[in-house]
Amino acid sequence: MTDPYKVLGISPNATDEEVKKAYREMAKKYHPDNYADNPLADLAQEKMKEVNEAYDTITKARKNGGSGYSSGGSSGYSYGYSSGGSAYQGAYQSSGNSQYAQVRTAINSGNLQYAEQLLNQAPARDAEWNFLMGSLYYKKGWLDDARSFFQRAVSMDPYNQEYRQALNMVSSTNSPYRQTGYGPPAQQTGCDMCDMCTAMMCANMMCGGCR
Amino acid sequence: MFGFIRPCAEELRVKELERFRALYCGLCHELGREYGAAGRAILNYDFVFLAMLLWGDAQSCEYCYRRCLPGLCRKKCVCACAAPLTAAAGYSVILAYWKAEDEVSDSRGAKKLAARAVRAFLRRAYKKAAGKYPEFDAQVRRDLSELSGLERAGAGSLDRPADKFAALLSSAAEAGREEDRRALCQLLYHVGRIIYIADGYYDLAEDLKAGTYNPVAARYGLKSADVPPKARESVLETLMGSARLAAAAYELLPRSYWTPVTENIIYLGIPQMINGVLDGTYRVILRGIPKRSGASPGQNGE
Repeated sequence: MTDPYKVLGISPNATDEEVKKAYREMAKKYHPDNYADNPLADLAQEKMKEVNEAYDTITKARKNGGSGYSSGGSSGYSYGYSSGGSAYQGAYQSSGNSQYAQVRTAINSGNLQYAEQLLNQAPARDAEWNFLMGSLYYKKGWLDDARSFFQRAVSMDPYNQEYRQALNMVSSTNSPYRQTGYGPPAQQTGCDMCDMCTAMMCANMMCGGCR
Repeated sequence: MFGFIRPCAEELRVKELERFRALYCGLCHELGREYGAAGRAILNYDFVFLAMLLWGDAQSCEYCYRRCLPGLCRKKCVCACAAPLTAAAGYSVILAYWKAEDEVSDSRGAKKLAARAVRAFLRRAYKKAAGKYPEFDAQVRRDLSELSGLERAGAGSLDRPADKFAALLSSAAEAGREEDRRALCQLLYHVGRIIYIADGYYDLAEDLKAGTYNPVAARYGLKSADVPPKARESVLETLMGSARLAAAAYELLPRSYWTPVTENIIYLGIPQMINGVLDGTYRVILRGIPKRSGASPGQNGE
């Protein structure tokens, strides 16, 4: 088995707090929401499993070994793929149309060619058809076309939550976000001595200015 | 079409920037060693990024001292020859050659003559590289000829031509480790899309003036280089979407010696480039490493 510390990218001397933080970061990174409708979702799921196992191994070992502070209360913390589910799987049964259901299965399993073939044969070009076409293109990575189809689906059926969600996903202009380089350290909440010190200095300067 | 993928130099640590510089020089030396002067002339950042991605999970890099121009300057620290550098050098030669070939058949006048000269200049280097990487060569030839077919037809879709260029770039994943290939393929696919679309936007004014095909102009039916805000927003959504998908794929690759730099490129360099291209402040730099300070004031997002 691989070294659980290596999986979390920390040293074996890390404190419980550091372990938890590393785990949380990893879990956020590989969260199913980040891989919704992504052809690499299965790889992310595997990574997530690895991370969960590594975290479990470390916490268990630390509890048994009694590494000083057992009060960590580290259990019961598990971001999982089981709970969330993909953004898209929700309303698949409700549509009733068996052909569309087939298309959905094909898209989910990555059989895009078959899905495209089915869609091209479909008689109607309704909202659902546009939505599925959009999902298909999204999975191919053709984001511009995917957006057009999602837009059409939403305009045909403005109250469908699923369509809206999909459109929001491809219409975001946020850049991929992750703390890199220098920048402030990842939110250390609360106020420490340094903060207080700075605040005092600021206050002092302002007092000087008023005089 | 090259030179879009580079780190945001201000945000790199000094040692990381030095290493990146050494790798850039290493690629130049590798091109020179394998393909002569013609090879060196096509050096660009995108393939330095590719070399870093092909590093696998290796945690080290060897360095040596070399002169850029024998007798003319002092020795510099450069990355020693390594398999990823060799592959990146070969791929860049093949791509540059087919790009020139493509231009010969697609352009007119002085441009055509220039492309002919480039092609002749690269011919020997290309033969050598194609012998080493026949699969990549075949893939590039096929994708680029399909791409120019789409361009000649003036396709109104942005994704369709971008797909061809992206597919071509993603076939460079064959040089990566077996277990990384899927993620690498997806990452390169989206990076290829970003390069193609950003390049289209960057060249918009020039292409409209020359009356040549431009994917962005064709997609939004543009007649002048003033892009309406709605179309610009749409391009931004498309590019940032690809940047996010590239990042998601990137996270599935193992950490390597180059992670600090590649991470910077994915999370800072690419978004910065996209915003710069869209608001017209971006300039492609083909030679030299961007300076640490003042290279791109105002683009920092600070």
